[in-house]
Amino acid sequence: MRKTLGFQPYFCFMDQIIALIKKDLLVDFRQKYVVAGIALYVFATIYIAYLAFNNVITPAIWNALFWLILLFSSITGLGKSFGQEAHRSHYYYYLAKPVHILTAKLIYYGFYEILLVVLLTGIFNLFLGFPVENPSLFLVNLLAGASGLSVCFTLIASIAAKSDNGSHLMPILAFPVIIPVLLLAVTNSRKIVFGASLADISGNLLVLVCFNVIIIALSFILFPYSWKN
Amino acid sequence: MKYLMKAYWWKLLTVILLIYTVIGGFLMPAPRLPILNETIRILHFHVPMWFGMIIMFTVSVFYAIKYLSTKNLMYDLYAEHLVNIGVMFGVLGIVSGMVWANFTWGEPWSNDPKQNASAVALLIYFALIILRGSLQDDHQKARLGAVYNIFAFAVLIPLLFVLPRMTDSLHPGNGGNPAFGQYDLDSDLRMVFYPAVLGWTFLGFWMAILKIRVARLQKHLDYE
Repeated sequence: MRKTLGFQPYFCFMDQIIALIKKDLLVDFRQKYVVAGIALYVFATIYIAYLAFNNVITPAIWNALFWLILLFSSITGLGKSFGQEAHRSHYYYYLAKPVHILTAKLIYYGFYEILLVVLLTGIFNLFLGFPVENPSLFLVNLLAGASGLSVCFTLIASIAAKSDNGSHLMPILAFPVIIPVLLLAVTNSRKIVFGASLADISGNLLVLVCFNVIIIALSFILFPYSWKN
Repeated sequence: MKYLMKAYWWKLLTVILLIYTVIGGFLMPAPRLPILNETIRILHFHVPMWFGMIIMFTVSVFYAIKYLSTKNLMYDLYAEHLVNIGVMFGVLGIVSGMVWANFTWGEPWSNDPKQNASAVALLIYFALIILRGSLQDDHQKARLGAVYNIFAFAVLIPLLFVLPRMTDSLHPGNGGNPAFGQYDLDSDLRMVFYPAVLGWTFLGFWMAILKIRVARLQKHLDYE
């Protein structure tokens, strides 16, 4: 890794991105307790919900609960995406372009979010059931919503990490701006739970995807400014 | 902004327009409609708040972009105070809307998509103010504030102008093409409404400029 990241000043786009993703993977591998902590967080939250809603859960409540827990576990999981860079980011200023760093982060934390969603859906299924009439459509909508969450939280984490109390600032900054994505995704998801078809939600789904595209484009424009001092 | 800070004519215009708005808004003829009755007069005070807020946020984003491209702290000062006054306008808009809704819709908050969207808009800008407050260094404050400001504005536009239009709302001009003509404004109301929008927006800029002047003087004194 050092060879690709350190000693060659000019090398192609993909090499640099792969090296950066490898670096993130390595950091997470060395600090396994962080990842394990997030898994435990997801499990504990769902289990509390299971105990609290002791058999009185309706499909509408199930849907709201699913998205709420996804929101909170995403913010716990992705909030750290730039926090760990604080002490060593000075090296990157000279080595990697901000656009490459952001691309690597978006890819890595996109996969991270997918893992989170899989874990969440699995545990939800186990304890609170899966009262969805159209599971494949539910997953498509879930993927669209979750990608919005991961992109938005990655950019906000890069802003929050610059502050002294980044971990407190993260939810304050992220929750208001994620509301449009969440609103569209939760509404779609509720319709799907009650048996809507693709034609019923295609309008909302299209707006959601457009919104994601806007967020990604903005991230690439704005990230260089939030990254460099 | 620089021109507005030097010129005087528009301040005089603001005073005249607002005196006209208050007198005309309360005394000039208004259409007699069921349910609305005389509460329609709050139109001249509630709706211009939103116009003013959007215009001030837009100008603020313009200066945020300008700051990022020039790194001139003066532009950041403009952006900061325009957001502060814009938020104040938003709070006044939401409160006056709740008063109006209490008389016409029967309750101050009725889960209307536009009410929700404007509440979220205010949350976003409160978050911006908190972000600025939590940073110490002037340039860092300006840079991250500008980044969040631009991002927030990009979220705000679909939130205020796209999402509420996709569902039914209690507000007029919804559930279809929200053309301004659908506001069903008659000519009596228009005669006061347009000057009111202009007057309140100018007042917002005037307030922001006063705040900017105070902040500049403060900075000047700190350095000495």
